[in-house]
Amino acid sequence: MPRLVLDKVSVRYDGQARPAVERASISVASSDFVVLVGRSGCGKTSLLNVAAGLVTPASGDVTVDGARITAPGADRAVVFQNDALFPWLTARENVAFALRLRGIRPSERERRADALLALVKLEGSGDRRIWELSGGMRQRVGLARALAAEPQFLLLDEPLGALDALTRERMQTTLLDIWKVSRVGVLMVTHGIEEALVLGTRIVVLAPAPGRVVRTFEPGFSRRYLAGERLRDIKADPAFAAARGDLTDAIFEGEAA
Amino acid sequence: MTVSSYAERRGRNLEGADVSSVPEARPRRKRVTGSARIVSAVTILAVLAVWAVSARLQLVSPVFLPSPAAVWSKFIAVARDGFVDATLLQHIAASLGRVFAALIAAVLVGVPVGLAIGISTVGRGIFDPLLEFLRPIPPLAYLPLVIIWFGIGEPSKILVIAIAMLAPVALSTASGVRSVSQERINAARSLGATRGQVVRHVIVPSALPSILTGLRIALGAGWSTLVAAELVAATRGLGFMIQSAAQFLVTDVVVMGILVIAAIAFVLEFAIRRIERVLVPWAGRE
Repeated sequence: MPRLVLDKVSVRYDGQARPAVERASISVASSDFVVLVGRSGCGKTSLLNVAAGLVTPASGDVTVDGARITAPGADRAVVFQNDALFPWLTARENVAFALRLRGIRPSERERRADALLALVKLEGSGDRRIWELSGGMRQRVGLARALAAEPQFLLLDEPLGALDALTRERMQTTLLDIWKVSRVGVLMVTHGIEEALVLGTRIVVLAPAPGRVVRTFEPGFSRRYLAGERLRDIKADPAFAAARGDLTDAIFEGEAA
Repeated sequence: MTVSSYAERRGRNLEGADVSSVPEARPRRKRVTGSARIVSAVTILAVLAVWAVSARLQLVSPVFLPSPAAVWSKFIAVARDGFVDATLLQHIAASLGRVFAALIAAVLVGVPVGLAIGISTVGRGIFDPLLEFLRPIPPLAYLPLVIIWFGIGEPSKILVIAIAMLAPVALSTASGVRSVSQERINAARSLGATRGQVVRHVIVPSALPSILTGLRIALGAGWSTLVAAELVAATRGLGFMIQSAAQFLVTDVVVMGILVIAAIAFVLEFAIRRIERVLVPWAGRE
């Protein structure tokens, strides 16, 4: 089983005295849905970018199955907060982008792109222009585009952060459904405490200044959803409320009030 | 709160969101340009009226200021019978041919130079000072040198125009490249794009709106160097036509030529804006 490992990773940006991240270790297997949470400035996004190969760590190792990561690659596709779609392409062409890079012929990439659009529940929208789509639809296209690269790991940088509450909730179920069928390991950054609990098989809590891992939770709510329980019932469970309290405490632990 | 009222509120919010995003600017802008257009039309009519009246009352000698009617009839006459051995259409075709040949040359050189400036620091180090040197020189200043080097033939005329076009094309391309969002580049790289693929599939299309703006500016700049380019050894062209008319004090042809040059510049600008809308419909909508 493929495994993405960040081992004692420190990140330092030019001109900053304190490291953005200090000796953080995270491991993502392909059955995992790992969620990074923490106050702003805790280095969540830095860690995600390190995993993507977009940021080079000052020290520490990033490996996939033991092989060191030094550059971005299609095995770790990223979905960004501001979808970063290509407006000169249609929705379908955006999804097919990774296939085009690999020189797959047009009819085949069209077929695969349409299948992925159906997977993210956007069937029939392939010919639409990016600027005609709503924020939620754009994130679905971004997700399908990342999946088209057939990654071993999906790296999600607050992909639902800019969406309204109802759209976000629907996207959460879509994410879980896709994670279930695609069997990719997910590493996701979020601000949402509920979102972390709903989605994560493991929640890694980071504290700021310098960014470091302080706690790890292993809530089972996402597995309960995949076992057939409704998301609304899970959220109404007293255990969910208790977990939310614990996680909130962990995030704000040590913060000067 | 009932479900339906919630849904209604949401619907209204969505509408509000739509209005606050992109389409909002359109109707409002249309109204502004609408009234601006009326003011423009009135201004043009007023200028024409002042011109017609002062010509009519002979406030100025017709040698210096021919009447609008005289200019119009000259336009018809030159269009039909020609002036200095070429019809108006032939003059226009000669000038447009030079400007478009120059535009092609400026794009073939300017776009790659702009990409180099925008993408690599070495490219920027090489080309930035050269362009900054070239940009402020008036065409009349380098015209003699171009003629000394390349003779008085057609290539010199095209080159004079192309030099004027080079800087706008290259600098607009470079600024387009530099404003490509890093997130978009990162997205492509994380999907497995090589450096070359990022340039081809992300940077060039992202910079396209900017490149087209550069073409528009370049066409304007090139068109306004036309008279300079046709100063020496031309036998056709609008600039040549105006100059030969001026030598014989045929003022109505001079005025007519100026108006034709202005009208064509207007048409070119309009055409490029049309092309922009077809080629880069996403510009300004992101």
